[in-house]
Amino acid sequence: MRHARTGDRKKLTIVVVLLLAPALWLRAQEGGPPPVAPAPAGAPATHGPGAEAAHAAAAERGRSLFKQNCAACHAEDATGGRGPDLIRSTLVRHDKNGDEIAPVITSGRVDKGMPAFSSFSTGQIADIVAFLQSQLTLFDLHTRFGPYPNDIPAERLATGSVEAGKAYFYGPGGCSNCHSPTGDLAGIAKKYNPADLEVRFLYPSGTPSTAIVTLPSGEKYEGTLLLNDGFNVAIQGKDGWYHSWPSNAVKIEVRDPLAVHAALLEKYTDADMHNLFTYLETLR
Amino acid sequence: MRRSLALLLMGGIFSAGLAAQDLDPEKLLKPPTDTWATFNGDYTGRRYSPLAQIHRDNVGSLTLAWAFQTHSRSLESMAIEVNGIVYLSGGNEIWAVDGRTGRQVWHFARPGAPLGGGNKGVAMWKDRLYMTTPDAQLLCVDARSGKMIWQISVADPTLRAFGGVAPLVIRDHIIIGTSGDTADLPGFLESVDPMTGEIQWRWDAMPKQGDPAWNTWPHDTDVAARGGGMTWITGTYDPELNLLYWGTGNPHPVENGEARVGANLYTCTIVALNPDTGKLVWYFQSSPHDTHDWDMVMTPVLFDGTFHGKPRKMLAQAGKNGLFFVLDRTDGAALISEAFVPANWVEGYDPRGQPIPRKDKEPQPDGVLVTGGVGTNWQAPSYDPDTHLFYVNSREAMGVFFLTMPGKSAEGWAGRDFFLSSKSMLKAIDVETGEVRWTADTEGRGGQSGILSTAGHLIFTADMSGNLVALDASTGNVLWHMYPGGSFGTGPMTYELDGRQYVVFLADSVAYAFSLPTR
Repeated sequence: MRHARTGDRKKLTIVVVLLLAPALWLRAQEGGPPPVAPAPAGAPATHGPGAEAAHAAAAERGRSLFKQNCAACHAEDATGGRGPDLIRSTLVRHDKNGDEIAPVITSGRVDKGMPAFSSFSTGQIADIVAFLQSQLTLFDLHTRFGPYPNDIPAERLATGSVEAGKAYFYGPGGCSNCHSPTGDLAGIAKKYNPADLEVRFLYPSGTPSTAIVTLPSGEKYEGTLLLNDGFNVAIQGKDGWYHSWPSNAVKIEVRDPLAVHAALLEKYTDADMHNLFTYLETLR
Repeated sequence: MRRSLALLLMGGIFSAGLAAQDLDPEKLLKPPTDTWATFNGDYTGRRYSPLAQIHRDNVGSLTLAWAFQTHSRSLESMAIEVNGIVYLSGGNEIWAVDGRTGRQVWHFARPGAPLGGGNKGVAMWKDRLYMTTPDAQLLCVDARSGKMIWQISVADPTLRAFGGVAPLVIRDHIIIGTSGDTADLPGFLESVDPMTGEIQWRWDAMPKQGDPAWNTWPHDTDVAARGGGMTWITGTYDPELNLLYWGTGNPHPVENGEARVGANLYTCTIVALNPDTGKLVWYFQSSPHDTHDWDMVMTPVLFDGTFHGKPRKMLAQAGKNGLFFVLDRTDGAALISEAFVPANWVEGYDPRGQPIPRKDKEPQPDGVLVTGGVGTNWQAPSYDPDTHLFYVNSREAMGVFFLTMPGKSAEGWAGRDFFLSSKSMLKAIDVETGEVRWTADTEGRGGQSGILSTAGHLIFTADMSGNLVALDASTGNVLWHMYPGGSFGTGPMTYELDGRQYVVFLADSVAYAFSLPTR
């Protein structure tokens, strides 16, 4: 729930739009189980926040043990190098509370060049197992909609030119027709994490359209557009009430505040995007 | 891979010979009328029914014949119908329902297994049903009683493999695929014995040393063994050529191309296999070196006709990568390679008609704007032999792709992507030119539906606002619509019983059967 920080309703909307809506319409081979965190190993079979904290502490101790003793061959993140990748290891995946991993650590795989680490205590082995389990979880969460990595650093995204971005903002982009760096965009780079800022300036999904519905009598209703599927039109009127009509009985004018963004999307080059982001990132 | 065969013999179920209610294998060779026996209705994948009782002049009076509430989560299975019984499925569950009345015949819930999760449909062989499960098992269930006969393990769920694909039955072969792309597993197809579940053959999406395709991967890391190429949508079959056609999914790591320089065969590929041996006969790579998760598992649709004056046996696919292909299905020669939505990732086409991806549109650390995907998804298209049009629910979309795990040792997804604006529409594509003849707006925020075409000069589908619709097959004009109060993850099917034609849609957890009013 990284986006659900205190009291930021806009951010919640973004989460819904960015994560949930694409999840609906991009549903592909999904349909199987969502990635599930493996049960904590090493730790006793208890649940709740206490057990989670204990497991996290064990994994942290395991991380430093792993770094000192195992990383030279298996890499610090356990993805392997000279030695096998442990993230993709069938043995590691089938481990339950160290039953598969512990014998390999204590006896080694001498025929394959892995020495025995017989001096580890049971507790240390449990810590290493906890670390490996946490790495599996981390990698399995690294999916299209997963929360890992949490944030893409601004410096990785800000590869363009501030000057070129500013020129685009006031020139061909036409951004300054609706937005101002000292007005609605003041401090925008502080408000959103870098990837969110990039995605949002490209297309701020979730901004609703408005509609003006004219009845045969000439009476007009204006409000937030809720449905316009060709069969029916529905709005939440300025009076707060829900209204709907058969589409063929009324005249419908839709105002989509995102139409300008959609049109711009078709014109952006990748360089325009990078320049504009680099400029917007200065609005702190 | 661990494989266990758990034989749960239910007493006295094996009767000799074909009983009257068994699925007649001949039905699979004919266009579907009183039977819709497979994921696609028949082997061709056209999803075209010769039934015409419901036609464009009377479809406006279509009415509800029955509804069946599964009390399940949202269903994404394709219903089948054999001898008057409709079979619906969810993860680890099957419902047998009277196709005339909507009354439940039996409900199967796999003992000890969690219910829910996706399933794309069951397959039938004689008096048995087969389904793959969220934990990558294949179940064999008695179609009469709904009791499990056996289950076998297809792949390792602890490596995040999962099932769901509807198996395909060809004679005495139950052909199954697999899913899962978080833990860099190689994809495969397997054929198992319908009686015992014993494996008959296995085709691996990752080429072996000695195969020229081996050279489409780097070999200084083990990336070629981890590969990808999942096989999660049911393929099609040509009995005359005795060729099985199947689309394979994306390579791994999913959004990092530098870890796997090369075309990465046989991922994002249409393969033609001998269904008796699993041997590859030809292939066509519909998305070489994919870096955008554009699984090309979409149905390879089979139809015959003249192409520029010459009779051809053809295969068409509309892909998640935004491209439409028509191939000669005897040898895989491309007749058409054409974008059906804007696709800025395409540099051009190679001499075989396979697309060449633009290097600068691979995911980048600072992001890159990409169009083309998701041009369509797995919810099946349809080909109508009367109009010669290929119908596909499409999306014109723009996404921004970030490479988050650069380098040669990347694993898993290795990137992030965000879809920005998109426009949804049903497109009718001319199969001789690849041109879009007309489009019908299907805008909305819901799920995408598959398509059914019928000799009633109709196409049935659902829009993304949640409306079931019947369109004129020639013009796309809406002739009937109905809002059932749920979203779609699958497509409609049709069958005729006692002289009455039914059209079945699944919306959320409910199956709806529509027909003309009875007098």
